Amino acid sequence: MRSVLILSGVIVFFIMLGPALAPYDPSAIDIPNRLSPPSGAHVLGTDAFGRDILSRLLHGARWSLGLAFLISLIGLVIGTFIGLAAALGGKLADWVVMRTTDTFLAFPELVAAVVIAGLMGAGTWSLIFALSVTGWMRYARVARGTGLSLQSRGYVVQARLARLPFWYIARWHYLPSLLPSLTVVWTGAFARAILGISTLGFLGFGVQPPMPEWGSMLLDARIHMRSTPLQMIWPGLAVVLSVLAINLAGDALRDAVANDDKQA
Amino acid sequence: MISNLLGLLFRSIVVLSGTAIVTFALLWNAPGDPAQAIAMARFDALLTEDVIDQVRREVGLDASFWSAFGDWIGPLLVFDFGHSAVTGRPVWPDLWTSITYTFPLALVSLAIGLAVSIPLAILATKRPGGLLDRFAVAIASLGTAIPAFWLGLLLILLFSVQLAWLPAMGARTPAHAVLPALTLGLGTAASLTRIIRSGILEARGQPFLPAIRRRGVTSKAMDRDHIAPHAAIPVVTVIGLELAFLLEGLVVVEVIFGRPGLGTFLTSAIVARDFPHVQAVVVVTALVFVTVNLLIDVIYQLIDPRIGERDA
Repeated sequence: MRSVLILSGVIVFFIMLGPALAPYDPSAIDIPNRLSPPSGAHVLGTDAFGRDILSRLLHGARWSLGLAFLISLIGLVIGTFIGLAAALGGKLADWVVMRTTDTFLAFPELVAAVVIAGLMGAGTWSLIFALSVTGWMRYARVARGTGLSLQSRGYVVQARLARLPFWYIARWHYLPSLLPSLTVVWTGAFARAILGISTLGFLGFGVQPPMPEWGSMLLDARIHMRSTPLQMIWPGLAVVLSVLAINLAGDALRDAVANDDKQA
Repeated sequence: MISNLLGLLFRSIVVLSGTAIVTFALLWNAPGDPAQAIAMARFDALLTEDVIDQVRREVGLDASFWSAFGDWIGPLLVFDFGHSAVTGRPVWPDLWTSITYTFPLALVSLAIGLAVSIPLAILATKRPGGLLDRFAVAIASLGTAIPAFWLGLLLILLFSVQLAWLPAMGARTPAHAVLPALTLGLGTAASLTRIIRSGILEARGQPFLPAIRRRGVTSKAMDRDHIAPHAAIPVVTVIGLELAFLLEGLVVVEVIFGRPGLGTFLTSAIVARDFPHVQAVVVVTALVFVTVNLLIDVIYQLIDPRIGERDA
C-alpha cells in the first residue's frame, strides 16, 4: 500500500506542479532555434517549431498522466457498479451483464479504442470516451467475482433479509472487501490508459497538436528522426518510466494483498 | 463435458451477435454525415446537396436502423462484406490481401515471443531470486512498459538509420518483415516471460510434489511430467490475452513500418470514413478473437481435469 501512496504522490506532484517547473512556455515558437540539440538554455533541446522539449514534457504530464488517471477512475466506477449489479441482481441479471462484458472483451481494447476515437473525430473528449468504454471490463469481472463469493457470508445474508437497499449493501458490505483487489486492477488500468493515450496520440486519433501530449510529441519527432534522433527518445522515455513505476507498484500491491488473504 | 462445450459454443454465438449489434450501432451513430464524407472522398470537390443525397441513397444510409442492420447482417452470414463506400470495390478481396500481410507477421512474432520467453523463464527459475532471475524479471518488466510504437521507432533508429542494415518502410522483401516481427516478438516475449516464470514457480510449490519425490522420481522426470504440464495451464489461458496484445501491436506496427496489412487497412478506412471497411475489420477481428478464446476454453477443459464444475 505504501508504494502505491508514494507513487500517487509523485504522479499528483507532476500533474499539479509539472507546468510550474517548466522553464519555458510549451507552445512558444522560436524558429531560429528549431531542432537544436540539448544545451544549457534548452536542457533536452527544441522541436521542429523551436519549442522547449523539457517544458513540453512537463506540461504533457497533465495530459498523459492526468487523463490516464481520470480514465482509469471512470472505468473503476462504471466497472464496479456493473460487476456488483451482476453479483447482487440475481441469475438473469448476472447472465446478461456477463455476456455484455464478454461482448466488450471480444475486441482487443486498443483496437476498439482506435475505432471509437477515430469515428467520433479525433479530440480529447473522444479519447476519454473511447478509453473509458473499453476499460471497465476487468473491474466488472473482479467486482462480480468477489461479490459472488461474499453472497453467502452471514452479514450479507442478514443485510438482504433486512431488505436493505442495493446501494447500502454495496457501499457498506461489499466495497470494503472489494477495495484491495480493485486497487490492484486499477494500477493495471492506469498503466494501460497511459499506453493507450500515447498510442492513440501517436496514431493521430488522440489529444491534438499543439497540446504537448507525449504520444503526439513522438508523432512530430518521428519526421525528424534522421537529423535529431534524441528528440524521439524523451517522450518515449517518459511513457516507459511512468508505466514501469505504476506496474512495479501494482506488483508490490498484489503481493501485499495476496499475503493479507493468506493470513485472514 | 458435451453440455459444457455446447454451453461455451452458445456463449460465443451470443457474444458474436452482441459485437455485431454494438459495431453497427457505433457506426450508425458516428457523428458527421458519412454520405458527405464518402462523396468528398469519391469526387474530391465542392459538392451540391443533390450529389450527397444521391450517395446517401446509393450506400443505403437513408434506411432505418434495423432495416439497415438486416441488410448488412444477412449477407455477412455468408461472408459477403459488401462494397467499399469509397472505391465501390468489393470489400473481401482487399481485406484478404491485407490479411495475407498481417497473419504471417503475427505468427512469426508469436514464434519469436515463445522462442525467447520459454528458455528465459526456465533459466530464470533454476535459481529463483538469483542474478539471472532478477535480470529476467527486470527485462520483462521493462519490456511490458515499452509501447509497441516506441520500440518500433527505436529499432528503426538503430537498424535502419544508424546501421543501415535493414529496410524500415514497406513490405516488398522478407527483410522488410524483420523489424516489425522483432518489435512485436520482443513485446510478446516480455509478457510471456513473466507469466511462464510465475507459472513454473507456482507449479513447484504444489503440495503433491514432495510426495512424488519421495517415491523416487528423478528431478528430470518431475520437471517433465509434473511441473511442465502444471505451468502450461496459465500459459494457455493468457494466449488469448497475447493475441489481443498482438492485434493491438499489429495496428501500430503496420502503420509505423508502412506495411499494407489489416492495421493500415483499418486506420485508413477510419480516416476515409469507409464504414463497410471498418465494419469488416471489426467483425473479422471479433470472429478470430472469440474463436481463439473458445478454443482456449476447450483446450483448458482437456488439459485441466479440475475445470468443468467451476464457473469459468
